[in-house]
Amino acid sequence: MISLSDYLILSSIIFCIGLVGIFINRKNIITLLMCVELILAAVNTNFIAFSHFLGNEAGQIFVFFILTVAAAEVAIGLAILTLMFRNRGSIDIDITSSLKG
Amino acid sequence: MKLLYLTIVLAPLIGSFFAGFLGNILGRKATHSITILGVLISTVLSFYAFNYHVLEGNDAFNQNIYTWLAFGDLSISVGFLVDNLTAVMLVVVSFVSLMVHIYTIGYMHDDDGYTKFFSYISLFTFAMFMLVMSNNFMQLFFGWEAVGLVSYLLIGFWHHKESAVEANLKAFLVNRVGDLGFLLGIALVLMYFNTLDYVQVFNNLNNIAGITIVDDWSLVTAICILLFIGAMGKSAQVPLHVWLPGSMEGPTPISALIHAATMVTAGIFMVSRMSPLFELSETALMFVMIIGAITALFMGLLGIVQNDIKRVVAYSTLSQLGYMTVALGVSAYSVAIFHLMTHAFFKALLFLAAGSVIVAMHHEQDIRKMGGLKSKMPITYWTSLIGTLALIGFPGFAGFYSKDMIIEAVRYSQLPYADWVYIAVIAGVFITAFYSFRMFFMVFHGQSRVDKHTESHLHESPWSITIPLIALAIPSAFIGFYTIEPMLFTGWLESAIIIDPSHASMEILKSNFISALELISHSIVTWPFWMMFLGVITAWVFSLYRTEWADWIKNKFKGLNYILESLYGFDRLNEIFFVNGFKRLGEFFWKVTDAGFIDKTLVNGSAKLAGFFGSLIRPIQTGFVYHYAFFMILSLLFILTWVLYSGENPLLGLPF
Amino acid sequence: MTSAQVLFYTFSFFLVASSLIMIFAKNAAKAVLFLVLAFFSVAGLWILLEAEFLAITLILVYVGAVMVLFLFVIKMLNIDKSTLRARFAGYLPLGLIVAAIIIAEMTMVLGHEQFGLNIYPAPENASADYSNITVLALQLYTDYVYPFELAAVLLLIAIIAAIALVHRPEQNRKKQDISEQVSVSAKDRVRIVSIAKENKEVKK
Repeated sequence: MISLSDYLILSSIIFCIGLVGIFINRKNIITLLMCVELILAAVNTNFIAFSHFLGNEAGQIFVFFILTVAAAEVAIGLAILTLMFRNRGSIDIDITSSLKG
Repeated sequence: MKLLYLTIVLAPLIGSFFAGFLGNILGRKATHSITILGVLISTVLSFYAFNYHVLEGNDAFNQNIYTWLAFGDLSISVGFLVDNLTAVMLVVVSFVSLMVHIYTIGYMHDDDGYTKFFSYISLFTFAMFMLVMSNNFMQLFFGWEAVGLVSYLLIGFWHHKESAVEANLKAFLVNRVGDLGFLLGIALVLMYFNTLDYVQVFNNLNNIAGITIVDDWSLVTAICILLFIGAMGKSAQVPLHVWLPGSMEGPTPISALIHAATMVTAGIFMVSRMSPLFELSETALMFVMIIGAITALFMGLLGIVQNDIKRVVAYSTLSQLGYMTVALGVSAYSVAIFHLMTHAFFKALLFLAAGSVIVAMHHEQDIRKMGGLKSKMPITYWTSLIGTLALIGFPGFAGFYSKDMIIEAVRYSQLPYADWVYIAVIAGVFITAFYSFRMFFMVFHGQSRVDKHTESHLHESPWSITIPLIALAIPSAFIGFYTIEPMLFTGWLESAIIIDPSHASMEILKSNFISALELISHSIVTWPFWMMFLGVITAWVFSLYRTEWADWIKNKFKGLNYILESLYGFDRLNEIFFVNGFKRLGEFFWKVTDAGFIDKTLVNGSAKLAGFFGSLIRPIQTGFVYHYAFFMILSLLFILTWVLYSGENPLLGLPF
Repeated sequence: MTSAQVLFYTFSFFLVASSLIMIFAKNAAKAVLFLVLAFFSVAGLWILLEAEFLAITLILVYVGAVMVLFLFVIKMLNIDKSTLRARFAGYLPLGLIVAAIIIAEMTMVLGHEQFGLNIYPAPENASADYSNITVLALQLYTDYVYPFELAAVLLLIAIIAAIALVHRPEQNRKKQDISEQVSVSAKDRVRIVSIAKENKEVKK
């Protein structure tokens, strides 16, 4: 039988993989956005696991909203990406270092 | 009576306000009329008060008029103590002030600051009244400072003259040095008596008899010496005398009023007022006597080599102040006051006469350029003669009585070093006669060395100048004769002055005294008479008979001449040591501590330090998103670890 | 080993593997496709957890729209064909260590002692006519209707924002700027030049 802790550990693993992905990413911003999606997926799994084991639908409703917001965020993120590509010619992450102190 | 005293004090003040603020609107005539009226009222009322207290022998008036401030047990008020001593001072001050006011009409006739001058001299009169009528130390100090202030204003009256500005600063600063000692003395009085009122202090003198402060110094000696330091500043004793010759930069009326008759005598008055205190300390009395003797002798020597008519009289004032101080030292307080009174009259007369000569000579002051003025200015001549005779102590004139009494008092004193002081004051008589008549002969007699242009304009001064001269000549001649007996011996000042029985010079003087007339005839056989006579003859020889001998001596004794002409080097010493010292100290504080330390190190340094730390922390902001993300992850890790393992009930125990 | 467990381990294996490959992939399109695989695995897990509606929604909306959008952008910007620098090596060990520590700690917290079957027992399987949609809808349209409306507004804002960001007006459009026309002065339009007179006569 699968216990709650199995699901939780799984989602934490996916979460950390997503973090590492953000962190070691040197290539482009698309990868960054995709790792954010992965993190969101891990969190959603977490919610649904709790919702199932505790018998409370509030978790699933919350996931519903997270999906909505994630979709909106991707849309805008890609729009910004397009603009960046248009203005600077490439989407290399190292270009976006104007805030360098 | 209270109203009377208030009027005496306030009448000159009101006159001063009118002259000062409305002078330009009212015009010259109205201004001088108002101020002279104010001082005239004070003079008349002073004479009335003198009559009331001294001649009719009524009780002294001691009352607090107005409480200025009160904190804790201490209350400081404005109050009047009017007894015989005060009454005498009031008469002297008001009379001389009135004469000077009248004199100013003529002397300052051409000056633009006419009304301002009247305002100042009336203000001075007010301050002097407050000083002599005060019944507590605080008001005394107020009057003290106020006369110093007005003296500063008046010395620098011609403020576009550089030398005048330097002189007035010097006067104020040197006075300040004396005032420091004075304040310390007052502070000691306050500390040990807990009150500043004269009467309360004098009644409680037994309480402090044996107290010593700072190892072995007796408290009474300390207080007396500190108070006397204030008197040294005000009455120009060595070494705080350096301001008085410089004060001759001011117009002559103020030299007469302030630096001959009134302000400089404030110190003498103060010591006499404090006689109960001074009698308790022989050390202090000895100190006073010695300082006075030094001043009397050495300042007189300086008068011999001066060529400015006002400076001769200034050094003469210094020397006579030394005499008064010597009298104070030998516990002959009433003699000191007596000499103060006679000196006020004849010195004011001499200054005003000098002013008359200066006006006639179109403000030429060098006596080497004068001569033979007798025929041109008779009134000035005769009044000057009376004044000079009074100064040198010619038998019968006022100065004779007072000066001889001082010398006799010194002779009978028991204080240590009194014999040296006796020799010094006798020598001083010779010197006084010498320089006085040197000046007299060089100005009024002999061949005229006046230049042609000025000579054609020489004439006697107008009545506004000569009337005060005559008015002052009369007391110079006669007041000594009439007042010596009552003032010194039959107790005019007895209630105000306390003398310890062990300082017996006054007693001996009293027992030796027969009458004023007798003193004249007795004088032939005393030292002072012959000293004076010798001085006159010497002066005649060197100024009129053989002036070449004077030049020969001057060339022969070049060293001595140099010492005298450089005024014993006091000015140089002050300049090098104090002035430069403070300038260097100021520069040090400015450049090293203020600009270098505070500005550079503290202010700029702290800014640079902040910048430095900023530059250390700044590289953390690399601008790359993944770096920021990594820091966030690291922080997350730390928080996780902290939450798991720390606190009293950690979620997990440590694995080991 | 029950079938549920088998399914669970299969799905989780694919999930972990595909996410790992995704983050190390050099080709952006490949990375997207592996992310799609990861999402499919997640959807399978959700169905195991009896959240069918959300699993289908994930596939339809998320994978179907969002991931496809990713692919569009990648293809449009020709990212996979351009030469890109790939410098992993510097931070990889550090990142892996940090990730390992985080996972270890979270495992300690979320382990069987705290969240195991004895504390949270597995619930009964739902009956065959259990409708996940109905249950969710009953909650969504009554208790949570306000956030629901807000989510709709949020999506509207996202649309407008995305369009506003990327929209470029046509380059060659001619349009009038009235204020500029009115504020013209003579010296902007006319310049008077004096020329020296030439002495040539005009031939008749």
